[in-house]
Amino acid sequence: MTVIVKAGWACAFAAGVLGLAVLAGGAAESLADDVADYTVIDGNVDPNTREGYTVYSRACMACHGPDGLGSSFAPSLIQAAERRSFEEFAQTIAEGREIQPGQVMPSFADDLYVMSNLVNVWSYLKARADGGLGRGRPGIIEDMQEDEES
Amino acid sequence: MLRVSTYAIAAVGLLAAPMAQANENVLELIDNPELWATQLGNYQGHRYSQLDQINRDTVGDLRAEWQFSTGVLRGHEGGPLYVGDGRLYIHTPFPNKVFALDIEDQGRIIWSYEPDQDSRVIPVMCCDTVNRGLAYADGRLFLNQADNTVIALDAESGELLWSVSNGDHTQGETMTMSPLVVHDKVIVGISGGEFGIRGHITAYNAETGDMEWRGYSTGPDDEVLLDPETTLMMGEPVGEADLGVSTWPEGEWERGGGAPWGWVTYDPELDLIYYGTGNPGTWNPEQRAIDGEPADNKWGITVFARDPNTGETKWVYQKVPFDEWDYDGINENQLIDVEIDGEEVKGLGIIDRTGFGFLLDRETGELLVAEKFAPETNWATHYDMETGRPVVDEDYSPHTQGVDVNTTDICPTAMGAKNMQPTSYSPDTGLIYAGINRICMNYEPHEVEYVAGQPYVGATLTMMPAPLENDEGMEGRMGSFIAWDPVKGETVWEIDERFAVWSGALTTAGDLAFYGTLEGHIKAVDIETGEHLWQFKTPSGIIGNVNTFQHEGKQYIAVLSGVGGWAGIGLAAGLEDPEAGLGAVGVFAALQDYTELGGVLTVFALPDS
Repeated sequence: MTVIVKAGWACAFAAGVLGLAVLAGGAAESLADDVADYTVIDGNVDPNTREGYTVYSRACMACHGPDGLGSSFAPSLIQAAERRSFEEFAQTIAEGREIQPGQVMPSFADDLYVMSNLVNVWSYLKARADGGLGRGRPGIIEDMQEDEES
Repeated sequence: MLRVSTYAIAAVGLLAAPMAQANENVLELIDNPELWATQLGNYQGHRYSQLDQINRDTVGDLRAEWQFSTGVLRGHEGGPLYVGDGRLYIHTPFPNKVFALDIEDQGRIIWSYEPDQDSRVIPVMCCDTVNRGLAYADGRLFLNQADNTVIALDAESGELLWSVSNGDHTQGETMTMSPLVVHDKVIVGISGGEFGIRGHITAYNAETGDMEWRGYSTGPDDEVLLDPETTLMMGEPVGEADLGVSTWPEGEWERGGGAPWGWVTYDPELDLIYYGTGNPGTWNPEQRAIDGEPADNKWGITVFARDPNTGETKWVYQKVPFDEWDYDGINENQLIDVEIDGEEVKGLGIIDRTGFGFLLDRETGELLVAEKFAPETNWATHYDMETGRPVVDEDYSPHTQGVDVNTTDICPTAMGAKNMQPTSYSPDTGLIYAGINRICMNYEPHEVEYVAGQPYVGATLTMMPAPLENDEGMEGRMGSFIAWDPVKGETVWEIDERFAVWSGALTTAGDLAFYGTLEGHIKAVDIETGEHLWQFKTPSGIIGNVNTFQHEGKQYIAVLSGVGGWAGIGLAAGLEDPEAGLGAVGVFAALQDYTELGGVLTVFALPDS
């Protein structure tokens, strides 16, 4: 079994719920540096990271390609998650960007669904970049699913 | 003062006279086998040339004479026009540059034109900032800009003659399709089916740019320009009024899509234009159902036959009532005269997004043949030939499976078994030649709220290569080039390709069929057997159309390469292996391992002997 947890705000929570061996990736980083918060176990993820996948697929995939991989139209967001800070990521989504003539990122400032899920999308992309999460639609870790519903 | 006015009126009169004959001019150009005057080669959309200097015996010597970089990245669809004046006229994706290139001077730029457009139009173009090319008539070039401006340029000088706005990109409306000039009118469609627009087709006066008529794809009959008493559906009058309103839940027709963003064809004898409308708004079928039951959502995914003079609808055929898969029905309607059981039939052939090859009667709109050209097609088992409706398989029906449920292994994918890439019809063989997609999908609809100018999609999908039938064909292949018998409804031969074949096909009297691949190869094959005869690797993937023409006794082949479009977005990183489970690295070919962006025109000819 592979377990990878990257915790910003909810490290203790995730580890406690799981009661499993945990590879904590962000221990030395401050919250301001990185708010990514994901758990990956055998290709399944926590509910918030799964929500990040869903938001990505609905709002970002049409240009950035499947699974964060980039396309002929827009760059890989997995690479962006490796190179940029959460702050830069959030700013780009909110403000949009004209990268060069003919290449434009729209502003999502008016899209409440996207704006309220920024941390979840970031967590999903970080899980793809650093957390060993593969392609496709991840399942939700069973214990955490029950926790959500209770 | 009075004299000046009189002179001005006289001048307008002089200009007006030839424009009224625009149709005659285009017909004359089309009749000349040396020219390639419309994007589809002729009004009927055949993409066939009588030229035979390049043929089965000589094609092996075909070589690139010169290349021209357009300076634009992004997907290059459409192709060059040649109207006999020693120039090639080409266009680019956004920013929609136009070039007149000197054939006798290896593509020297005679003039170029670049419109000034709001770059905010870019993110509302769902599947790349493509453009499918110019139209020409009577010394004028016509172009649909991304920002909905329709323009006329003087072909001699590149001077702007008129421009008119056909839509509003802040509402999600854009333009990608190529206009068609019929009589004195420029016929244009619109794009934006993923942004909840209300699709329409419009005729502008070719001389002045004044709007002559507009027919909507949804809504009341008087705005669709449809008369339920006289407009035919499956050979009978439509009967019921305002189906474009009543087959939708309250008000949904106002954002009901049906964007005609594909090719328009024209029958000069019947004096009818033909085109298909796109997907009916949101991809979430639940939001288009009435009381939870499937509703037809007319006139989405419908073939329209209209009078080009007035826009009035002669007949309609809805290929997919109540779409659940984004089978965006804009595929070109090839006007082909066929023989069925010894009788001559004015036919209309479609290699359709749905995976079905259709043959219709183009006088009445009756369905004559509907057979699968992509055998993996499973969303419908077959078409009911009495009603003309598909028989949907519930296992592959996202509406039946429900909102927020992932319906798996649907074939074909939303890209369609064929997308916009136009087919070719050879009157010599009676076959249709088509680049097709062999890709399937999982489709999960979700609730989506309409906000003007924002995406209105309402489904997510993942794609995978179509399974092989009986272990035949290339493992993991995502496309094929096929020869299709439109009357028998069967594939005659098939060549598998690694990626979807997203380029427009060409056939010639030289017994050749040409097509391009996403890796960037242009290929020539034997029209009878499909035997591979020649290929050349252009600098980028080909989603443009292969065209041919003759200048000063020499036959040329020309093609725009420049990967992009939905193919580039979906296939850049490769597809998932559905068998490998979660976490697997995609094992199927990734387009980004083969090609990069960049628009280039390549012109080929035989060496001088």
